[in-house]
Amino acid sequence: MIRTLSIEIKELQELIEQERTAEEKVRKAKEEAGAIVKKAREEATLILEAIDSDSCWDEIRRTRKEETARKKAEMEAEHGRKISALSKTVEENFERAVTYIVKEMLRVGL
Amino acid sequence: MSAQELKTEIESRAEEEASRILGNARGEGEKIVTEAKRKAETLRDERTKTLMRQLDAEETAELAMSRMELRRQFLQAKSEWTNRVFEEAGKRIVEMAQKSKQEYRELLSKLILEGTAKIMRDKFIVEANPRDAEAIKENLKNILEEVQNNKKKKVTLQIMASPTITLGGVIVSTEDRIQYYNNTLEACLSAARQNLAGGLHRVLFKVGE
Repeated sequence: MIRTLSIEIKELQELIEQERTAEEKVRKAKEEAGAIVKKAREEATLILEAIDSDSCWDEIRRTRKEETARKKAEMEAEHGRKISALSKTVEENFERAVTYIVKEMLRVGL
Repeated sequence: MSAQELKTEIESRAEEEASRILGNARGEGEKIVTEAKRKAETLRDERTKTLMRQLDAEETAELAMSRMELRRQFLQAKSEWTNRVFEEAGKRIVEMAQKSKQEYRELLSKLILEGTAKIMRDKFIVEANPRDAEAIKENLKNILEEVQNNKKKKVTLQIMASPTITLGGVIVSTEDRIQYYNNTLEACLSAARQNLAGGLHRVLFKVGE
C-alpha cells in the first residue's frame, strides 16, 4: 500500500515537473515571439527611415539641376546666335537706316 | 490515462502552443515588414511626385527668369543699335548744317514753315544760331512766300540770331513769345526718336536684304 502510494506521488511529481517544463517552453516561446515582433517593428522603422536618408533624392535633384543648366546653356547659345544674326543684319542695314532717318528728318511733315 | 500518457499529452500540448505562438509572431512580423515596405513605397511615390513638382516649378521659374534676362539683353542690343543710328543720323544732319548744304537750307525753310503752320498768328519771331540765321536771311524772300502761301495771308517773320541754339534748327514764336514751336535739331532728333522708331526698326532689323 505504502509502495503504491509512493509510486503515485513520484508520478505526480513527475507530472508537475512536466507541467512546469511545458509552461517554461510556452513562456520562452512567448518571449521569442515578442522578440520576433520587436525585430520586425525595428526593421519597419528602418525601412521608413531609409526613405529620408536615401541618396536618390539628392541624385534626382542633381540630375534635374544638370538638366536645367543644360537647358539654360541651350537658351544662352540660341541667344548668342540671335545676337550674332542681329549684328549681321544691322551691319547690312545700318547705312540704309541712317539714310532713312536723315531723309525723314529732312522731309519735315506739316 | 496513464501518467506517461499524461506527460506526453502535456509535452505535446506545450509544443503545439509554443509552435502556435511562434507561428503567429512570425506571421505578424512578416505582416509588419510587408506593411512597412508597402507604406514606404507609397511614401516614396508621393515624395517623388512632390519633389518632381517642386523641381518642375523651380526649373520653370529659373528658365523663365533666364528667358526674360536674355530677352532684355536682346532688346537692349536692339535699343543700342537704334541709338547708334539716331546718333549717326544726328551727326550727319549737323554736318550738313555746318557745311550749310542746300539740303539743310531747305530743311530750315521747312522747319520755319512747320513752326508757323502750328501757330495761328501772322507775326513771328524765328530764332536760329548765327550761322543758320544768316542762311535764313539769304533765303527769306522765298521762305516768306511759302509761309504766306501756306497760311493764305500776309505774315511777317523777324529773324533773330540766338547762340543758345547750338546744333541748328529754329524756334518759331509769336511776337509776344507766348506761343512757340521748338524746331531745333535737338528737338527734331528727339521727336524723330519717338516718331520714327517703328519705321527705323523695320529698316534696321529687316532680314534678307
